[in-house]
Amino acid sequence: MNVNLYPLKEFKLPIVAECINPDIFQEKSLKEIEALKVWEGNKQKRLGELFKVEAVETSFEAPVITIHGNASRVRRIGVGMKSGEIIIKGDAGMHLGEEMRGGKITVYGNVLGWAGSMMKGGTIEIYGNAGDYLGAPYRGSTEGMKDGKIIVHGNVGREAGAHMRKGIIKIYGSAGQFAGFRMKGGTIYVQKDCESRAGACMVDGTIVVGGHIESVMPTFTIEGLRKRVKIEEGEIVEAPFYLFIGDLTENGHGRLFIAKEPNPHLSHYEKFL
Amino acid sequence: MPIVKAVTCPVCGSLCDDIELTIENGEIVKVKNGCAMCEAKFLSHRSEHRIRKPLIRKNGELVKTTLKEAVQRAAEILAEANYPVLYGWSSTSCEAISVGIELAEEVGGVIDNTAVVCHGPSLLSVQDVGIPSCTLGQIRHRADLIIYWGCDPWSAHPRHIERYTAFSEGRFEKSAWRGYIAKIRTLIGRKKIQSTVRRLVFKKPPEIKAQLEPTFVPSIAKEGRKLIVIDVRRTKTAEMADFFVRVEPGKDYELLQAFRALIRDQELEVDSVAGVPVGYLEEVADAMVSCDFGALFFGLGLTMSGAKLRNIDAALSLVRDLNMRTKFVIMPMRGHFNVTGANTVFTWQTGYPYAVDFSLGYPRYNPGETSVVDVLLRGESDAALIVASDPVSNFPRKAAEHIAKNPLIYIGPHMDVTAQVADVVIPSAMVGVEASGTAYRMDHVPIPLKKVVDPPRGVLPDEEILRRILTEVRKIKREKAKAEAA
Repeated sequence: MNVNLYPLKEFKLPIVAECINPDIFQEKSLKEIEALKVWEGNKQKRLGELFKVEAVETSFEAPVITIHGNASRVRRIGVGMKSGEIIIKGDAGMHLGEEMRGGKITVYGNVLGWAGSMMKGGTIEIYGNAGDYLGAPYRGSTEGMKDGKIIVHGNVGREAGAHMRKGIIKIYGSAGQFAGFRMKGGTIYVQKDCESRAGACMVDGTIVVGGHIESVMPTFTIEGLRKRVKIEEGEIVEAPFYLFIGDLTENGHGRLFIAKEPNPHLSHYEKFL
Repeated sequence: MPIVKAVTCPVCGSLCDDIELTIENGEIVKVKNGCAMCEAKFLSHRSEHRIRKPLIRKNGELVKTTLKEAVQRAAEILAEANYPVLYGWSSTSCEAISVGIELAEEVGGVIDNTAVVCHGPSLLSVQDVGIPSCTLGQIRHRADLIIYWGCDPWSAHPRHIERYTAFSEGRFEKSAWRGYIAKIRTLIGRKKIQSTVRRLVFKKPPEIKAQLEPTFVPSIAKEGRKLIVIDVRRTKTAEMADFFVRVEPGKDYELLQAFRALIRDQELEVDSVAGVPVGYLEEVADAMVSCDFGALFFGLGLTMSGAKLRNIDAALSLVRDLNMRTKFVIMPMRGHFNVTGANTVFTWQTGYPYAVDFSLGYPRYNPGETSVVDVLLRGESDAALIVASDPVSNFPRKAAEHIAKNPLIYIGPHMDVTAQVADVVIPSAMVGVEASGTAYRMDHVPIPLKKVVDPPRGVLPDEEILRRILTEVRKIKREKAKAEAA
């Protein structure tokens, strides 16, 4: 059964809706789905009070949930989901797909912070921009993204992929500062520009910046020039890249690839090669 | 005239507890030992800007009302709200904060203190990295290297240097005060001679010197207590320092990481970091490693610029690295006199130091999501209670507009901007002047605050006002539950 959700009003208060999850919707009737509990501000409501719920019978096993409209105030959509699909035709709120293990989330708008936080599997594809802390853990935790894939076609905020351990984040726009902060593994690809401090305190993993970067941290050391970089199976960027190793302050051996052409200000490193 | 001794000053996080006040006819007339801010605060208890009667907004105008009616209206606003914010707390006593948290839980709101706009990033990084710290007493007696990074205590914590660091007479470390006086005298003498020579011999007008590039100063190698200042501009504190490092604005993170690499004996492949030549950094790193007991104090220059919380992450990591070579401690320069207390009480009662959201019935914490400024900027709240703070005058404009747009309750002693746009204004006694209580110094030492004069007639302390609102909120909720059951 596929489920369509239509917001009944423009949300002003924050909505916490962990129940919007294909695993929870599975094998539930329309009435049961409408009766699921959500929080609007400090009041508990039924899902049916905030969304018009429409069920479409299909032959697929895992349900597809589609939200039609602006859900930028709706937090924790698809938290911990294991299968199925969520499609959001509008914006999405914070903690989208937190700790998800499988399935797919597609957003045709922007998302706020902590999308794909502590993800363990599955795919998130965002056609708009993503906020800060993409794939990063919540405050105080060092358990970052463990697996899975996040694709953002727009720009992202600060600290994308902080504490990342495995998996891949592909950003086809620009990234804010501290991309891959304290990263321990996995790959982050930023196709366009990246603000400074990429890979600060990283221990392992790969960051690839295809556009301009203001500066490389002084605690990185140049390793060489590379003609191409492999992002993942079937995706190779053919262009000259500087390869830096760091972060020295953490005795790290993370790899930071910076495209040569958009960054003539880094040419002084070539004297060390 | 009675003189009250050993009064604690309720202004900044230094909480100087040696103030002497002269009282005449129930008013403070003279303040001894305090700085200019201390004197201004103690004398302001009789200011014309004090609110003396509770006010309530009727037809767009603030009109005088009774305390009972004001408390009733405040309780109604909070009980009806779907997502209220309760903000301020850093300039009141721990006892009042404790009641405030109870109230936040009862009304399911977001409670936050002023750390959100000052040392919030420090708290986040302390949770990530940990903090090697100590009390100010230890620093006073033992520290032989003091570093002030991104703060100007001479202006913001005027007695900090004198009481706790470079100019204090410690048991094992002597005050650097005499050395500083000698340095200033030499400097003034040299300037006088230069200007006389210029006027009499060369007959030239005074030259305007360009800002000097950092050069090696031999004072880094001097004996005894050393003071290093790292800042974006030559502040008053920097003037008296033995060594000053001017960092490019917003580049503190790079500098901190470079220091970490140098302390780990790693080579840097660049000539300068954040506008400072690497050779110069090596001098400072040497001074850090060769001290017996170092203390790093940092202020908002570090927490609120460039890398924000990651600056603190790097500073804490730097001190952790330094502890492999020598003894080093780090301490944030807290602003409001009880902001440390607010963090401490919040942590006792909720588990989190600031930005606590009770909307789901249990405390949740995720600054950026549950911090008051972000909640206001996204326009999510629908009522606000402000205690002992003036957010309308210092929050981002959009956030201030959102506070003013929704029902607003203000509890505080003065008619500030927030009070002027509030819907309910309840005057309170000034904590530490007209009401007693407890406050935490920046090194987490609790210090009692004294009541030295009586508040204006009918004006209650914050704690009592909040308790009355809490009782009223509980009554409204009970009645509502009864009505629903019926």
